Amino acid sequence: MRNESKEDIKPSTASERVFAVKVDDLTVAYNYKPVLWDIDLEIPEGVLMAIVGPNGAGKSTLIKSILGILKPIAGSVTIYGKPYEKQRRLVAYVPQKGSVDWDFPTTALDVVMMGTYGSLGWIKRPGQKEKKASLEALEKVGMLPFKNRQISQLSGGQQQRIFLARALVQNASIYFMDEPFQGVDATTEIAIINILKELRRAGKTVIVVHHDLQTVPEYFDWVTFLNVKKIATGPVKDIFNDDNLTKTYGINYQVSIQE
Amino acid sequence: MDISKYIELVFTDYTLRTITLGTAILGAITGMLGSFAVLRKQSLLGDAISHAALPGIAIAFLITGAKDTNTLLIGALVSGLIGTFWIKNIVTKTHLKSDTALGLILSVFFGFGMLLLTFIQKQPNANQAGLDKYLFGQAATLVESDVWMMAIVTGICLMVMLTFWKEFKILLFDADYTKTLGFNTKTIDILITVFIVLAIVLGLQTVGVVLMSAMLLAPAAAARQWTNSLAKMVFLAAVFGAFSGVFGTAISASQNNLSTGPVIVLVASVFVGFSFIFSPSRGLLFKQIRVIKNRRDLELHKTLAFMYHIAETHENTSHPHKIKLLNNFHGYTKSTLQKLVDKNYVKINGSMWSLTETGFETAANLYTKQETEDE
Amino acid sequence: MNSAQLEIQIIASLVAIACAIPGTFLVLRKMAMISDAISHAILPGIVIGFFITQDLNSPVLILLAALTGIITVVLVEYIQKTGLVKEDTAIGLVFPALFSIGVIMIAKNANDVHLDVDAVLLGELAFAPFDRLLIGGTDVGPKSLWVVGSILLITITLLILFFKELKVSTFDKGLTASLGFSPAVIHYGLMSVSSVTTVGAFDAVGAILVVALMIAPAASAYLLTTDLKKMLILAISFGVFSAIFGYWVAHCLDASIAGSITTILGVVFLLVYLFAPSKGIIAVMYREKQQRTEVSLLTFLLHLKNHDEVEERHVNHLYEHINWQKVRAKSVLDLAQKNNMIHMDNQVVSLTKKGDEFTSKAINYIITNEDAQIEDMKDDFFLFRG
Ligand SMILES: Nc1ncnc2c1ncn2[C@@H]1O[C@H](COP(=O)(O)OP(=O)(O)OP(=O)(O)O)[C@@H](O)[C@H]1O
Ligand SMILES: [Mg+2]
Repeated sequence: MRNESKEDIKPSTASERVFAVKVDDLTVAYNYKPVLWDIDLEIPEGVLMAIVGPNGAGKSTLIKSILGILKPIAGSVTIYGKPYEKQRRLVAYVPQKGSVDWDFPTTALDVVMMGTYGSLGWIKRPGQKEKKASLEALEKVGMLPFKNRQISQLSGGQQQRIFLARALVQNASIYFMDEPFQGVDATTEIAIINILKELRRAGKTVIVVHHDLQTVPEYFDWVTFLNVKKIATGPVKDIFNDDNLTKTYGINYQVSIQE
Repeated sequence: MDISKYIELVFTDYTLRTITLGTAILGAITGMLGSFAVLRKQSLLGDAISHAALPGIAIAFLITGAKDTNTLLIGALVSGLIGTFWIKNIVTKTHLKSDTALGLILSVFFGFGMLLLTFIQKQPNANQAGLDKYLFGQAATLVESDVWMMAIVTGICLMVMLTFWKEFKILLFDADYTKTLGFNTKTIDILITVFIVLAIVLGLQTVGVVLMSAMLLAPAAAARQWTNSLAKMVFLAAVFGAFSGVFGTAISASQNNLSTGPVIVLVASVFVGFSFIFSPSRGLLFKQIRVIKNRRDLELHKTLAFMYHIAETHENTSHPHKIKLLNNFHGYTKSTLQKLVDKNYVKINGSMWSLTETGFETAANLYTKQETEDE
Repeated sequence: MNSAQLEIQIIASLVAIACAIPGTFLVLRKMAMISDAISHAILPGIVIGFFITQDLNSPVLILLAALTGIITVVLVEYIQKTGLVKEDTAIGLVFPALFSIGVIMIAKNANDVHLDVDAVLLGELAFAPFDRLLIGGTDVGPKSLWVVGSILLITITLLILFFKELKVSTFDKGLTASLGFSPAVIHYGLMSVSSVTTVGAFDAVGAILVVALMIAPAASAYLLTTDLKKMLILAISFGVFSAIFGYWVAHCLDASIAGSITTILGVVFLLVYLFAPSKGIIAVMYREKQQRTEVSLLTFLLHLKNHDEVEERHVNHLYEHINWQKVRAKSVLDLAQKNNMIHMDNQVVSLTKKGDEFTSKAINYIITNEDAQIEDMKDDFFLFRG
């Protein structure tokens, strides 16, 4: 049923292109101190995009306001041409790791199951079907053996995988991930990026806040530079250059990127 | 009074039965809701709310002149909510931190309440008797209708909790995420807060404003130590709360002029202390034992590894070496050597030792394991 | 006014000063609730001390009870360190337990202990003048005056001696350690002073109201100044004012003096909270309204700067894309025009030179994280505020 409705939303031969995510003139402020200014952003369907920018650039804020967690003072956001409220089911979110209480009395499997709550709606409880989907997601991120662990007894990388699994189980079209590689070892990083690439192959759009500039060309095909304002957005091969990096990170930013 | 006689009394004596039932129900509901308060990091809000309720009781009395519990508790509810609202407002609108807001509201409201109480006491015509009980609680003043009231509120609360279990759980764990899934977090939030305030107000008559917050925290903090599942934690907290109520009542009923509140709180605190120390997975005792055991194992492993290094130098790995050699190793003691012999890792022959085959394998395994872990 | 009344007011004022000083630091260090915990938890210490000394004003009792206060702090910190419960839960678990023990001890020994629960909560300020200190047979004044006076003297001496250290450690913990004095020493020093003060004040105003005397004046002062010295002076003044005024209110109502002092403290806070010039909520709300419009204005100007296309700058775009309601959009537009930031040409808006300059500067400040400068800049550029 959901697939049908998705078909309506994404006319393949539309004259005007419909973007997976379209942000118009977005301005967001905390206590009337603007942290994002007049952002225009168009994210085409099926890209694996990095959002890069220094600490405090407003990357998390951008994602939160796209997802309706924060209320912007100006501007609008559309997901496949419609406001977010109507398109929630198409969107999954992996928050920045520090945002939850890891000592909460709950197990890894429980957390992943929370990904199914959105499609269940109010009151209805998750059943066998949801459990099966959650176990599959755990399997995919290689966390099945840990399903009954209390979440604080997982390592940082494992916690990150659990969050990823929770997003996977939402079975969305667009994935927003806030620093999924934070505190993660090389093996896990590769495991995660492989999953993200697989999602892209399946036609999903994946948007990732990323800090390691060296790996941008290798992992991503699309990139947005952000520092309070949008500096640039587009294909990595076209716009990922010293010029944009300098504009984003400050005057003397030097990173030589080897192809 | 001996215990069997007391238990018999609980079932036969009307007053005692009422009180026991009342404190048990109260313990259960505060334990249950306290779990939410603790997990929301609002442990001290309960303290502020209960203190803030006092002027409400006094004003309700001044206005209506009525002594019946429900009227007074409505007053408590209103002023408790005003206190809560004001705290939230101070924290969001000024630079004052939440601890200051809490301490300020709780002490100022309480002081105002005391002013009113002492004022009422001096009034010649006031049938003031009984307002004092709201300070430390007097379970003896519970009547059947009070217990019914508690039971009904607990029932409603239980029903709501079961209905919205999933929503409560996800909001407590990850509020932002809950929003993205399309749940109206404000509604859930208000629901939880209202129930917490309600539970506090219900307990004022029995436990009193001064100590009510402990009823909220203690059972939940104790329960958290025994389980890693939210459902079990809430259930256990209810059980601990109920038992605190029953035991506390029993103790204070068997003694002269002991307010119920402090006794119940003390019983609940004993639950907490016991849980902190003896819980198998998180408790301090077992943690300490594990630390000591790990340290011992580590020493043993280090010694074994050292011996492995020596044994490795020889073609025949079970070739005997001098015990003296081991003195070069820092952590070596006679008892560790003896333990290794007991485990059949090492053989001793006079002043010589040699690794057994199992010993050699274990040591080798230890190595590969350590290397993969370090990675 | 007779001499007993005068003495009560002097004692109350001294208590207020003695509480306001550590209270100010507790509020600044985000440890206000610790004072609540201490004030409850010293009760068993007081009762035990009373068994031993039989005198509520004995220095031994004060030290013993203060020790209970320190033990409470250590216990709370220990539980916090175990990580078994969240931090504030630790406070909430420790003090009710200790307080309960105290109450039960009083109840069990009601015949021997001349202490009752009302005295625990409210103190007995009204009776303070009747307990005289006799030295060599001559009456030198009420005992509690001497007790509170000595504590105050010690507190003030410590404050003057360690003012610099207290100040640095309150505002910058890292710096403290690098300057060579241990933050832990100052922390426990402050805790000790708080405990001793609480015990000394306890007799006069009772357990819970000590908390009010510590926190409320400091909280009110905090809303009026950012300077530590001024904050201390203000907190002390609020405390003394409430003590004296509160006494007379109690006198008129024939009610508890301590309750009345606390109520006045609450009223003082309420007034400051409402009317403080820059941090009071009326000022805050006014400023928020102004800022809301001005941020919208900035947003709007920036949008104009970012877009050359005519359709992006058309008035109607304001309503559609920027997603504002008509009223808001209109007020923003008006403000921009009044300040000569924009001019309109056939429903198409563009920046004036002044507007352009203003916008560039604003962006610059925000990106370099110096957004405080924007406020100054507004003064330079704006003829009319939002
Ligand atoms: N809740 C908040 N209240 C006030 N200011 C905030 C809040 N959250 C973030 N900010 C401010 O907004 C700005 C942007 O924050 P944001 O978290 O979006 O940055 P970020 O790009 O995600 O940084 P990081 O790389 O450190 O995660 C920062 O200057 C931050 O101080
Ligand atoms: Mg971030």
